[in-house]
Amino acid sequence: MSFPRQYITSRYIRLLASVLMLAVATFAQADDRDAISKGAYLAKVGDCVSCHTAPHGKEFAGGLPMLTPLGAIYATNITPDDTTGIGRYSEADFAKAVRKGLAKDGHHLYPAMPYPSYTKVSDEDIHFMYVYFMKGVKPVKQANKQSEIPWPLNARWPLAAWNFVFLKEGVYKPNPKQDVSWNRGAYLVQGLGHCGACHTPRGFAFQEKALDETRKKFLTGATLEGWSASNLAGDHNTGLGRWSEDDITIYLKYGANQHSSAFGTMTTVINNSTEAMTMPDLTAISKYLKTLPAAGDKGQTPYQYKPEDTLAQLKQPTKYAGARLYQQYCLDCHGANGKGVAPYLSPLAGNPALMDPDPSSLINVVLNGSPQLRPQGIAAPYNMPKFRTVLNDEQVAHLVSFMQASWNHNLPATEAKAVTKIRKLPPSAH
Amino acid sequence: MSQGLIQALVSSHTVPNLPRRNFLKLAATVSATAGGGMLLGISFPAVSEGKPSQAYSEGGSGKAVFSPNAFIEINSAGQVTLIMSKVEMGQGVYTSIPMLIAEELEVDLDKVTLQHAPPNDKLYADAMLGAQVTGGSTSIRTLWQPMRQAGAACRTLLIAAAAKTWKVDPASCHAQSGQVIHDASGRKLGYGDLVKVAATLAVPKTVTLKDPKDFKLIGTPARRLDSPDKVNGLAKFGIDAQIPGMKFAVIATSPVFGGKLLGVDDSRALKMPGVLQVVKVDNAVAVIATNTWAAKRGLGALDIKWDEGKSSHVSTADLVADLRQAANKTGAVARRDGNAAKAYSKADKTLNVVYQQPFLAHATMEPMNCTVQIGPEGCDIWVGTQIPTFAQGMAAKTAGIPLEKVRLHNYLIGGGFGRRLEFDGVVQAVKIAMQVKGPVKVIWTREEDIQHDMFRPYYYDRISAGLDAKGKPIAWTHRIVGSSIVARFSPEGIKNGVDPDAVEVSSEPPYDLPNIYVDYVRQEPRDVPTAFWRGVGPTRGTFVVESFIDELAALAKIDPVKYRLDLLGKTPRLKTALELAAEKSDWGKAVSTGRGRGVSAMHAFGSFLGMVVEVSVNDQGEVKVERVVCAVDCGMVVNPNTVIAQIEGGVIFGLTAALYNEITIKHGRVEQNNFNDYRMLRINEAPRIEVHLIPSAEAPGGIGEPGTAAIGAALTNAVFAATGKRIRTLPIGNQLQNA
Amino acid sequence: MATLNINGVPHQVDVPGDTPLLWVIRDVVGLTGTKFGCGVAQCGACTVHIDGKATRSCVLPISAVGDQNVTTIEAVGESASGKKVQQAWLDLDVVQCGYCQSGQIMSAAALLSHTPNPDDAQIDAAMAGNICRCGTYPRIRAAIKHAAKEGA
Ligand code: FES
Ligand code: FES
Repeated sequence: MSFPRQYITSRYIRLLASVLMLAVATFAQADDRDAISKGAYLAKVGDCVSCHTAPHGKEFAGGLPMLTPLGAIYATNITPDDTTGIGRYSEADFAKAVRKGLAKDGHHLYPAMPYPSYTKVSDEDIHFMYVYFMKGVKPVKQANKQSEIPWPLNARWPLAAWNFVFLKEGVYKPNPKQDVSWNRGAYLVQGLGHCGACHTPRGFAFQEKALDETRKKFLTGATLEGWSASNLAGDHNTGLGRWSEDDITIYLKYGANQHSSAFGTMTTVINNSTEAMTMPDLTAISKYLKTLPAAGDKGQTPYQYKPEDTLAQLKQPTKYAGARLYQQYCLDCHGANGKGVAPYLSPLAGNPALMDPDPSSLINVVLNGSPQLRPQGIAAPYNMPKFRTVLNDEQVAHLVSFMQASWNHNLPATEAKAVTKIRKLPPSAH
Repeated sequence: MSQGLIQALVSSHTVPNLPRRNFLKLAATVSATAGGGMLLGISFPAVSEGKPSQAYSEGGSGKAVFSPNAFIEINSAGQVTLIMSKVEMGQGVYTSIPMLIAEELEVDLDKVTLQHAPPNDKLYADAMLGAQVTGGSTSIRTLWQPMRQAGAACRTLLIAAAAKTWKVDPASCHAQSGQVIHDASGRKLGYGDLVKVAATLAVPKTVTLKDPKDFKLIGTPARRLDSPDKVNGLAKFGIDAQIPGMKFAVIATSPVFGGKLLGVDDSRALKMPGVLQVVKVDNAVAVIATNTWAAKRGLGALDIKWDEGKSSHVSTADLVADLRQAANKTGAVARRDGNAAKAYSKADKTLNVVYQQPFLAHATMEPMNCTVQIGPEGCDIWVGTQIPTFAQGMAAKTAGIPLEKVRLHNYLIGGGFGRRLEFDGVVQAVKIAMQVKGPVKVIWTREEDIQHDMFRPYYYDRISAGLDAKGKPIAWTHRIVGSSIVARFSPEGIKNGVDPDAVEVSSEPPYDLPNIYVDYVRQEPRDVPTAFWRGVGPTRGTFVVESFIDELAALAKIDPVKYRLDLLGKTPRLKTALELAAEKSDWGKAVSTGRGRGVSAMHAFGSFLGMVVEVSVNDQGEVKVERVVCAVDCGMVVNPNTVIAQIEGGVIFGLTAALYNEITIKHGRVEQNNFNDYRMLRINEAPRIEVHLIPSAEAPGGIGEPGTAAIGAALTNAVFAATGKRIRTLPIGNQLQNA
Repeated sequence: MATLNINGVPHQVDVPGDTPLLWVIRDVVGLTGTKFGCGVAQCGACTVHIDGKATRSCVLPISAVGDQNVTTIEAVGESASGKKVQQAWLDLDVVQCGYCQSGQIMSAAALLSHTPNPDDAQIDAAMAGNICRCGTYPRIRAAIKHAAKEGA
């Protein structure tokens, strides 16, 4: 006897189907897991957490105030919560927000969100990050805070005009004249890394003056509220001219090298972002940065280490207020010779941050100390304490002036009122 | 510690009224010691008798039959050993107490050696505090008589022993620097040669104390006996305990008060060099390692999750708001004379102000630490503590073993100021040690020490007065609002809802106030732990009362010294002290612009202080303290050297707080970390301090705390004189800049 | 494995290079006269001499010590200035709790070794890094002057 074929076929098909479905399902899961981890890595590269998490707040739930000249604005909730977060965002919505600064409801985000840099992020990377934020991040119900920018300045429509003028849309285009690693570095620095957001000077409308190495001023340092973001170009004194590629890589991985230790907000960037980046990626970044041309070094002559005058002053602390204060508060860690004990205790002599004619960062670090550096989740052995409660503006000015003049830095003195200004600013949120 | 605290602590004991007669009855025994020496034990009416305790015998100092509060041991070599029931924390008791004994015993100070007493309330209870506690500036006050009696009884025995040996009348012999001398024949026998015989004699029923006019030591400046080892690095503080096989622990306690440990990922920490173990206790994590630094590095590699609990949003402002609220309640009455409420109606002028004093950390130079070993043979604790018996008891309770299995080895204290009246550090160390094999030394980082201190409470005082036409205060109302330390420390001390410590000085101002009403509202700062702090009640009370009386003087347009003197009729000793301080400080003489003098008068701890402070204020509104003049009547002075040092130190301690210090709270955490943001007065900021002692035959008063208690108001009053700005909230900080 | 020369005695120590000299001296070598007070170079309790210079050992990684001579409070009495200072501290009864005094004495000894007759300003400059919570400052100042009088 024989079975009806149809029966067999249908049965066969059902079987096949279920097998296939099973396969698809497991495939899909594997795909997610991979995308989530890739996305998580990219979210680190983009350092999303630093801005989108409030002090003592839940990760990515937003709420961190950012001070703008117009008033405080607050980072938003980017957890996949349906009502208060981005739970309802499609991948396209997500891409629009990241690359164009457009929220799902169409309103414009303030360019504090570095979408002029993120616009260079590839579709593939956007996809991975989307999957990560949707499936790899815990939803947190936390309503977004309204910006404190007063009417009419709070109107968002001018941002459209702003974008029209300043937003250069389009993903990163590799430079054929450079090798893969250089291009990877350029992609990370200009794109997700958004280094320019702090390190490139901004124009009259808060726009970054350059978004890649083809335009002058790119990453040549900038003045922020109470900080002077350092020059990452090849300048001998104030830039990375004296740093090797390895110096840069080590700095980004561990937060300190033979020249300097991370301070201020860069500490957070290292803790939340670069410390987790792969060596190939970090090397690529270093390689790219080392190709940025020097930008004139603010007319300074190339630095040479000369401690003699400083050592002499330190021998007469009663004669020099700066020397006396340095001796009491700084010398034990940073040394009379200004060499510190790298990489534990930052050198000051020849440190680009101290060669910067703008003393803001130096003042800020003396007043507010530095957040605890935690590369690979391990607190660095020594940490810069804050001195705002024990030193008055005049004393800080003496100290800063001393350090900027010493070890042959030969920079002009700082006045107490510069300190007063920075003391009034809230210490950087992290 | 204050009378208030003393009342609190002794409410369940009887305070002996220390006999003024030099002649008194005592019961005692002598017994031969193992070493063929003699041991004298004395018991006093004030102290209950009891069998010698395990702990004591293990102290190894011999066998006592009675349970005295002091022991003298003299061996056959004539070496005199004193077992110190008090602990040395800088106040100089390791010099002044031996002076009392040596005076009567007729030995030279350099002949006595000292031994820390083991914990034992029966043997070593402080007669005022009712327990073996060092604090409250009570040491000399309670031991003044007993120690001299101990020395005298011992001397009497040695003389009797010599007389017996020589077959002469004891009356024909006298003792002198470690020898008994037969006056007629000039024969001499050293104490060492006499102890055997003396040990066989019955202790005299009575002893005669020396007449003060014959004192050779008491009242003369004596060198500190603890100095030599403190200048050559050999002195051992608790943190210096070295136990064979000892491990080292550093801790992280929940940054938020009342928080709990949720969990910790120690995978990274355990890979750090030297890290041996990670230990969890209810609200803290400890890393155990081969040295302190390795432990600290390990701690920095932990990923700790805290359950921050309900306080994670609390800030200082919330706690102050609580206090302000509470200030509207009627409190428990601490003092009511006449009818203040009614008297206001007759007042010519009235003043009604609020004073606020912040949370303060103790910040002892020696950070909190405790070394513990728990094994089959029980629990050993190496620590410097002001409360050995409480600590021992808590350790036993925590470890769940009988008291006698806990051996507490007391050490020198690198600063107490009240912090080491608490046993939180000991309990925590025991909890950690229970999970560690062998001895472990727990050291708090300075950050832990400051952020997990038990703080001097934030006090909120509302005070008002009405002045008659002549400016005299005819009405006086004062409400104290704040945490009650006594309620936690010794609840039986609370009487009718009044914390005697919190209201001290306020409830008994030294001034003539016909109509006075003082009450107390207890308001706890939620989860913030509070504790005694140098000068305790009187530090709070003196700042308020002495600031306010100064405001009244200004209101009445009367010189603040004269204003006070006119009201001090009932407190003559304070009047004298104030007059002397004014005279020595050139009070009334003009000062250059930007300068000013301020005054305060304080009676507490059985002592009387007049204080004048001279400050200069620069155009940045920064205060420099130029000169402090202090006149002190603290009764009979044992060691003027120590008294002066204690006043100097107390003044600088109080200045540091009044100028700079406040512990503030944000997100439920303490905002201060270390000396870089919890500012300490430094040598370049230290004023010239002149201390004038007023001779007195009265019983000795306490001296460890008055300087701290008196300085705050004198300082802010001086600031007022210099700037016209009245500081009502401490610390001064940058209030004058913003002015 | 580093070799430290402490009070003239070489000590082999096996700890990471970031370890502060303070904890090597206290926990590894076992000399407890040098004290821990803050760990951030702000109190001076941990002061030792490195080739005669007063140095806060709590922030000195041993990787930076090398073969320099480390002197602690236990051995400072062997130097002329150290001996003078210790004697002055006894003569004027400077100490109270004593915890800060090792550091005070190390700083004072270093001061006198290069400035035999310090004036108040020089004393302030040299001693301001040493906190004394017990407030012995007036006596510290007096003792330094007293020691200076004893002559070099
Ligand atoms: S412990 Fe080194 S300065 Fe405080
Ligand atoms: S003597 Fe105690 S801290 Fe200086």
